[in-house]
Amino acid sequence: MPGTAEATVSFLARADLDELIQALRAGGRRLIGPTVSDGAIVYDEIQQAAELPHGWGDEQGPGHYRLTRRDDERTFGFVVGPTSWKRFTFPPTVPLWRARRDGTEVSFESAEPEPAPLAFLGVRGCELAALGVQDRVLRDGPFADADFRARRANALIVAVECTTSASTCFCTSMGTGPEVRAGYDLRLTELDEGFLLDAASDAGTAILQRLPVRAATDAEQARASTAVAAVREELGDPVMTDGLRDRLLANLDSPGWASVAERCLTCANCTLVCPTCFCTSVGQASDLDGLDSTAERHWDSCFTPGFARVAGGGDFRARPQDRYRQWLTHKFATWVDQFGTFGCVGCGRCIAWCPVGIDVRQELAAIAPPPESAARSTGVREARFVVRATAPAREPLVQAQASPAPAPVAPAGTGLDFLPAVVRSSFPETADTLTLVLGDVDPAILAARPGQFVMVERPAFPAVPISISRLSEVHLDLTIRAAGFATAELTGLGPGEGVGLRGPLGRGWPIEAAVGRDVVIVAGGIGLAPLRPLVDRVLSERERFGAVRLYVGARTPRDRLFGLDISEWGTRDDVEFAETVDRAGAEWLGRVGVVTHLFDTAEWDGSQAVAFVCGPERMMQAAAATLLARGLAPERVYVTMERHMECGVGLCGHCQLGGFFVCKDGPVFSLAELGDAFGREGL
Amino acid sequence: MSEGPRKPAAADVSWFGADLPSAQRERLAALAREVEFPAGTVISNEGDAVAELGVVRHGRVALRLHVPGKGMLTVLTVEPGDIFNWSGMVAPYRSTSTLVTVEPVTAVLFDAMALREAVAEDAVLGSFVYPRLLRAVARRLGATRLQLLDVFASQAGEPW
Amino acid sequence: MGRPTTAARLRVGVARFTSCGGCQLTLAGLHEALLAVADRVDIVEFAEVLSPRSSGPYDLLLVEGSVSTPDQARRISELRRQARLLVTIGACATTGGIQALRNWSDGDAWRAAVYPQPQFIHALRTSTPISEHVTVDALLRGCPIDPGQLAELVTALLVGRRAQLLDATVCMECKARGTVCLISSQGAPCLGPVTKSGCGAICPAFGRACYGCFGPAHPANVEALKAQFADQGRSDEEIGRLFAGFTANAPAFRANARPPLAVLDQPPVGPEPAARISHGFPGVPPLTASGDDDARQ
Repeated sequence: MPGTAEATVSFLARADLDELIQALRAGGRRLIGPTVSDGAIVYDEIQQAAELPHGWGDEQGPGHYRLTRRDDERTFGFVVGPTSWKRFTFPPTVPLWRARRDGTEVSFESAEPEPAPLAFLGVRGCELAALGVQDRVLRDGPFADADFRARRANALIVAVECTTSASTCFCTSMGTGPEVRAGYDLRLTELDEGFLLDAASDAGTAILQRLPVRAATDAEQARASTAVAAVREELGDPVMTDGLRDRLLANLDSPGWASVAERCLTCANCTLVCPTCFCTSVGQASDLDGLDSTAERHWDSCFTPGFARVAGGGDFRARPQDRYRQWLTHKFATWVDQFGTFGCVGCGRCIAWCPVGIDVRQELAAIAPPPESAARSTGVREARFVVRATAPAREPLVQAQASPAPAPVAPAGTGLDFLPAVVRSSFPETADTLTLVLGDVDPAILAARPGQFVMVERPAFPAVPISISRLSEVHLDLTIRAAGFATAELTGLGPGEGVGLRGPLGRGWPIEAAVGRDVVIVAGGIGLAPLRPLVDRVLSERERFGAVRLYVGARTPRDRLFGLDISEWGTRDDVEFAETVDRAGAEWLGRVGVVTHLFDTAEWDGSQAVAFVCGPERMMQAAAATLLARGLAPERVYVTMERHMECGVGLCGHCQLGGFFVCKDGPVFSLAELGDAFGREGL
Repeated sequence: MSEGPRKPAAADVSWFGADLPSAQRERLAALAREVEFPAGTVISNEGDAVAELGVVRHGRVALRLHVPGKGMLTVLTVEPGDIFNWSGMVAPYRSTSTLVTVEPVTAVLFDAMALREAVAEDAVLGSFVYPRLLRAVARRLGATRLQLLDVFASQAGEPW
Repeated sequence: MGRPTTAARLRVGVARFTSCGGCQLTLAGLHEALLAVADRVDIVEFAEVLSPRSSGPYDLLLVEGSVSTPDQARRISELRRQARLLVTIGACATTGGIQALRNWSDGDAWRAAVYPQPQFIHALRTSTPISEHVTVDALLRGCPIDPGQLAELVTALLVGRRAQLLDATVCMECKARGTVCLISSQGAPCLGPVTKSGCGAICPAFGRACYGCFGPAHPANVEALKAQFADQGRSDEEIGRLFAGFTANAPAFRANARPPLAVLDQPPVGPEPAARISHGFPGVPPLTASGDDDARQ
């Protein structure tokens, strides 16, 4: 494994470079290294030193990349090209699972990663940092991507310190280069006559020992340091990263977003060349009958038009400027909240490979300018960045607490694999909503907490997130509205048919926070489904709570869910229950009006109460405002958020809301945590 | 308009303000009366001239609109503490919906024309009546807008 | 929709309008995959390949080609009545095709110059996509269409799921392939960033800049790309010709297309067709990605 041990520095003559190549390829390892192809230096498999780009350099600028001929024969006299190592650690297409349907039985088999051992030759400082960034996202969280983890473990890293730079580089600002300090097996620094080499791991040492090297002289080492230091000097410090996260998040309403959106093609090139972008989608490939299917993970991008769409046609980031803002704020602000580092490593690829040459350094300076008082000596390039005025901040509903992201909840047992369950019975709730009662459910899923959800999969269909609407010792209820093909398939299932479940996922309702307090529950439409297990739990331990108030709204009387439960709740004398519908025919003798009117003029004291709210976001906003007006504290009002989910475990990137992954940091959040993210357009 | 027997006691006009000065309170009480309606009473029809505004004390009044081909649809119910027929204070002083009691209702009714005259003559009374009416109408307008958004119709299969 | 019934086999037809026939050939070119499909459906009309003929009804009708004669305008209405699902395939059917370049010209003058008796040539002033005449349930773009997308559409119909047609730009496919971007590395006038994905980015893989045969992406910030081409030194005339290709008549390209020998700045456009792309049957979700804004195309 790559390590950080300080070792002696060796010297390898230029003529002996092929020895290194062959040593890296020994034992059947495939060597990936830089090579000239189609007018660029790309990473591809190479078999001999002659295939390396000796004497080639590059000239890069916004939307501009050209190979140049150097006047020497340097092997690494260029910087990064259009490919990144992501291509080999996180390939464009990876199989995830195989699903089969045989009569009513279903079975699922997760794909086992079997990556070939690889060696990467020529990994720059910024690229090492990128691998480290992706490690945190894909390998070191509560859910790991098995394929990435295996590929990472199987790759030998030969890093190269940069002795040249491009005008698009800004590793110095991001703290990722040009020096290479850790994370490699072997490190190379090029001099005219050869290469300085050192190893930082056993694997690296083993290779080094096979090479015809001698100890490097002090003079050689000094020249190497000087060369790298010269690159640092050239680059200066184009991006002020001190306070950048805060500055960006304070400028979510800047006119700069609309301005860059006028030029942005939303073509997704920036995300695709970026070595740290990790958003993916899941696609199904099946036979004509849907009996045998494979689910595959494909590269996706927050710039694609459907990225933030949900079933039913809603789109949370419909405008190109929202999508650009998502990308930039994720890279330079919310990534810090999520993973503790910036997402950007300063490699400059997004600048060179943007077809219209949008330069993130310039956009950052325009949208989140550093304070005037920051006087630093910087490189020549900073003069290009025009500082524009800041837009006035928007008044948020609730001031966000400066608190870290809530700890994610790991699933109790099933991890990332689908386990089959069987439909025992189904119960139509309304014309388009049906409750499936599942049996043969894995005990780990039955141990779910109220408010958690499962990913539900039928072979050949996409997996969908469905909240658990009732828990019991042997059964799990899922209440599903047929809003798309996958949910229509589920609502069409009969007794005996199988589904795959993955979970339990997400953070459930914090019932403990309500013990000893008055409880207010506000449900709208199908929002009652994830609240029902909460009501079940509270009523089963009724004495632990103060007053219990349950307010339920629906569209029309015929759209009311859980008729039997509602009757029961309405007759209990230890629950204050009220319901309303948006409109009704003349035969309805109950309330008609909005659910907030059930409690906006009530007389109870909300200052110590805890509220749990679930329904369409617009309804939750109204309910939240009313509850705050009734005196509830924002840290005691809990809502659930809805976003597009493909994986349910925080790896595909789709469900992000500001710095949160709705699937693993939520979907339950307090208003205090969400702060301005609640109800902000296009976030 | 059909109604039950009048109650002999003075009507409670505190809906227009618990802190009404006594002169204004008396003036209001003089044009108010408490009434009991059995369930199913049509208090007024859409388009009728409004004779009396009402505040529900107990029970529920449905506001209904007629939609050809669909019959009467209830768009709002008026609960205890809420007002109906406030259009009696605004020209053309006609009911904008059909009001039907869906259960036995006790209401305080205010003579619309007399109230309009009283408010025109007495500015202090006006300073209590209009803000209270405006607040009730604003609350209702907010609700109507949310109902108009039909948020439940566009709900996906999952709230998240 | 939900569960597809196994009782009745789907009746599938293929109809041709003004086109080269290449999209139909793509269907025939599925080879074994076509045989597998033919096992499960009844292909009742596919004149290019099979003898049996039928004028309907169809569960699925694939329509290739644009409408450019009065006869065709009548015929498409009749076919629409016969088809439960009507899917247009190819650039001609979805945008009007290369023949739509005549929309910028004086058709009468051309006819008079070419034909000795032009009065016998019955053609419409314009060549237009099918969606300007009837409601279309789904569409497959391309010149020709991509066989993978066609296979996915048919599979999705049979399985009962939404067809997964990648909704991105050609850039996504270029990068997935590992092709070096022609714009940045050569200053080539590639339309990839504003062109809808689906082809697998074939042309750039051979060093040929994309010419937009799958039609505009949504959104397509054509103005910004145009400005970039101009910055790179291309003339207005050159840029105008770039957009005057197989999908010139698509609204996002149309405004910037300048076919050679055009006499009009803009082709005549009829009144905005109201929601010509259906969003599924009542109670049935749309066949392709929801929000696929082709009504605005």
